[in-house]
Amino acid sequence: MLSWDELQKAKFTETNARERAFGLVDKGTFTEFVSPRDRMPSPHLPVLGEAIGYDDGVVTGIGLIGKRPVFVVSQEGRFIGGAVGEVHGAKMVQAIKLALKAYEDVKEKYPDSYEERLPAVVISFETGGVRLHESNAGLLAHAEVMDQIQDARGKIPIIAVIGSKVGCFGGMGFVGAATDVVIMSEQGRLGLTGPEVIEQEMGKDEFDASNKALVFRTTGGKHKYIMQDANFLVKDTVGGFYQQLQEVMKLPFAEIEKFRRIGSKELVEEQLELVKLAVELGAKDSMDVWKYYGNEDPAKLVDMGPEEFLKVAKRRERKLG
Amino acid sequence: MEREVRVWDNLKRDTEERMKKVAHLVEEGKVVKAENTVALLEGVIKPGDKVNLEGNNQKQADFLAECLCEVDPKKVYDLHMVQSVVSLKSHLDVFEKGIAKKLDFSFSGPQAGRLADFVRDGKLELGAIHTYLELFGRYYADLVPKVALVVAFEADKEGNLYTGFNTEDTPIIVEATKFKQGIVIAQVNKIVDKVPRVDIPADWVDFVIQSPKNFYIEPLFTRDPGLITDTQVLMGMMALKGVYAEYGVQSMNHGIGFFTAAIELMLPTYAEELGLKGKICSYFALNPHPTMIPAIESGWVKNIHCFGGELGMEEYVAARSDVFFIGPDGTLRSNRAYSQAAGLYAMDMFIGGTLQIDKYGNSSTATANRVAGFGGAPNMGSDAKGRRHSSDAWLKCGLEYGMQDQLLGKMPRGKKLVVQMQETFKEKMDPAFVDELDAWKLAKNANLDIPPVMVYSDDVTHYITEEGIAYFHKCVDMKEKMAAIRAIAGYTEIGLQAKEEETMDLRKRGIVKTPEDLGIDITRANRSMLAAKNIKELVEWSGGLYNPPARFRNW
Repeated sequence: MLSWDELQKAKFTETNARERAFGLVDKGTFTEFVSPRDRMPSPHLPVLGEAIGYDDGVVTGIGLIGKRPVFVVSQEGRFIGGAVGEVHGAKMVQAIKLALKAYEDVKEKYPDSYEERLPAVVISFETGGVRLHESNAGLLAHAEVMDQIQDARGKIPIIAVIGSKVGCFGGMGFVGAATDVVIMSEQGRLGLTGPEVIEQEMGKDEFDASNKALVFRTTGGKHKYIMQDANFLVKDTVGGFYQQLQEVMKLPFAEIEKFRRIGSKELVEEQLELVKLAVELGAKDSMDVWKYYGNEDPAKLVDMGPEEFLKVAKRRERKLG
Repeated sequence: MEREVRVWDNLKRDTEERMKKVAHLVEEGKVVKAENTVALLEGVIKPGDKVNLEGNNQKQADFLAECLCEVDPKKVYDLHMVQSVVSLKSHLDVFEKGIAKKLDFSFSGPQAGRLADFVRDGKLELGAIHTYLELFGRYYADLVPKVALVVAFEADKEGNLYTGFNTEDTPIIVEATKFKQGIVIAQVNKIVDKVPRVDIPADWVDFVIQSPKNFYIEPLFTRDPGLITDTQVLMGMMALKGVYAEYGVQSMNHGIGFFTAAIELMLPTYAEELGLKGKICSYFALNPHPTMIPAIESGWVKNIHCFGGELGMEEYVAARSDVFFIGPDGTLRSNRAYSQAAGLYAMDMFIGGTLQIDKYGNSSTATANRVAGFGGAPNMGSDAKGRRHSSDAWLKCGLEYGMQDQLLGKMPRGKKLVVQMQETFKEKMDPAFVDELDAWKLAKNANLDIPPVMVYSDDVTHYITEEGIAYFHKCVDMKEKMAAIRAIAGYTEIGLQAKEEETMDLRKRGIVKTPEDLGIDITRANRSMLAAKNIKELVEWSGGLYNPPARFRNW
């Protein structure tokens, strides 16, 4: 495994879930919950003759960013595409529950200065959603994570980090969208139905999943950033995400709420206006939308490095926040 | 003395007669309108003709293939198709419609399953499955095409063809056809006033047709570095240290899989660290693999001759004329036949992945229900018995050859390095090592005379798995070969039969080497070894000259 310093420079897309968990919090502060040594694999996979993982494809634990305890959930795409099964889901749920408990503890112990020690949850998504081998348990896990996110609302920030190879799709696409803050890299992808499934259901003319450039233009970080589905766009390094997390941690909690894209009547209305716009605009490609938001030469944005992109890209203006 | 009067130019007269029938379809020069193509084919092709339809694993005469499917099967039937590749749906539709009857080919790729069905159901009479050179050879013996349907980028009205970057098989097909009084029809993307360079001269071409859309090219040789696994990196390191460095291999052909892509991407990193620059990998018979860019840019490569082109590599290749074969017009000229000849006779090594290996060490990519064919691999993956020039790598491998004395007595002779790589388990935990190759089942299902074997056991010199390298050629007999296979077959049924003392003996004698024996630190065997980790980094290495097709752009 790479050292923390090496990890900061390493490409986020090249690291595994455990490395990402270590690298997203301050140096030397990460402690894993139920590590592979505790051997907690899925009880369902052996019944189906499938290989198991002792961490069930997700790393959870706690670290610090500054004074703030950060509860990390980091999914591993190389284990069944990061799909969420019963144990995997339970680990996610428990991490958020612990964060909420820490919130109560901190508030009690530091009634006057709890905000500078406010816990946070960081979820590094790399998943296609429900693990079909254990679909009911997996679906239930999705609902439970959603519940926890709702319980955390207004208390502690839940931050989505999306930059791994598999992206964040399926039911977990909803979960990602329901967090307070979304940080993505250009390589990160966020969506509901995966490209292959869209092609299978609606045909190649609707969406050609083999055209990766199209897939990335539609679901990738740059598009999500322009659309304000992602709040921040960072370089594809562990350090890039870590530094952005540090910045977010400096913000007063009241500011965090403004990053939300859904979760109130006003926000839903704003989203519905986008649906209307999609129909009116009749866009054939995400670049048509980029142009609509004032990017004169959208094709240029595609090949642009992240620094330059952040300088020149024009984004949708938010009504709220 | 009375001489019997005989006619010696029947072929020519026959062709002239056919040409007369279609003269009215010709516009200016040799140009025929796209909408008249079916009529043209019905006019020049007679039942029972041998017809060549150009297409290989890259460019395809797809428009002509579709038009051939449209001819009236009452007028044109029982054709004998002789062609490199069966890869388009239309290639088999002509059999479905009763237009064609017999097939001699080399490689089938995506149509392999349907082809097996056709053979089994008697819809198609299979001549033979060839290697490229073997099939090309037969174009000049018993499989001379009467009509060739070829493809080029551009033509002028007189019929000069520009095949450019993707010249591939065109010259060898046209020469066989035209010089045996046959008829050559070319589909082109564009008819121009002047072609950038003449790849096929006008008097070898009878008709040119501007097709309604550009011909199809498959980017078959692009491997996304993002998909290379840590195991493939490990096996690449083993190959570099245990084979490339050990033999000082200077000339080679690489397969198209991820194993060799990993090796290509480790030339500027791991091989550089081993001090191998200049000592290995100077000459290649190879398509313009995008994964070669970092090695070329780092000054590793002197020369690459290409079988075909590769989509997106046009500008990069054109800008590196010290390395590639570039015409006076500034673009690459590929040529499959010449590159295959180089691969067979001028290369010291062939290295590539395989699918299945039997307990004797025969290696095959055949599966039970797909007639996939061979392409060029068996030519390059075989010891050329006609080779007479020597090189260090070739000689060393020959000196180590365990059966040399029995075959030649005391006579030095080299041996080509033929290296096959495979992980012990494939996708879905299918074992790569098997008691009997699926090729046997395929032979039965598709009524073949012999099981289609990619590389025979007596040609393979090295097998590499994640467990180790078997220096297979060092074995003195089949018994020892089988032990060497078992020693590197891991936890497969074959591997579990390995006896520890036997394996230890093979390791002592250097017939089997594990990563540890090779002094490779396994903890370093991960993707950080790769000079480029994704397609975008290849673009950066190329200084923006590589222009990957949309399907490979992960951004």
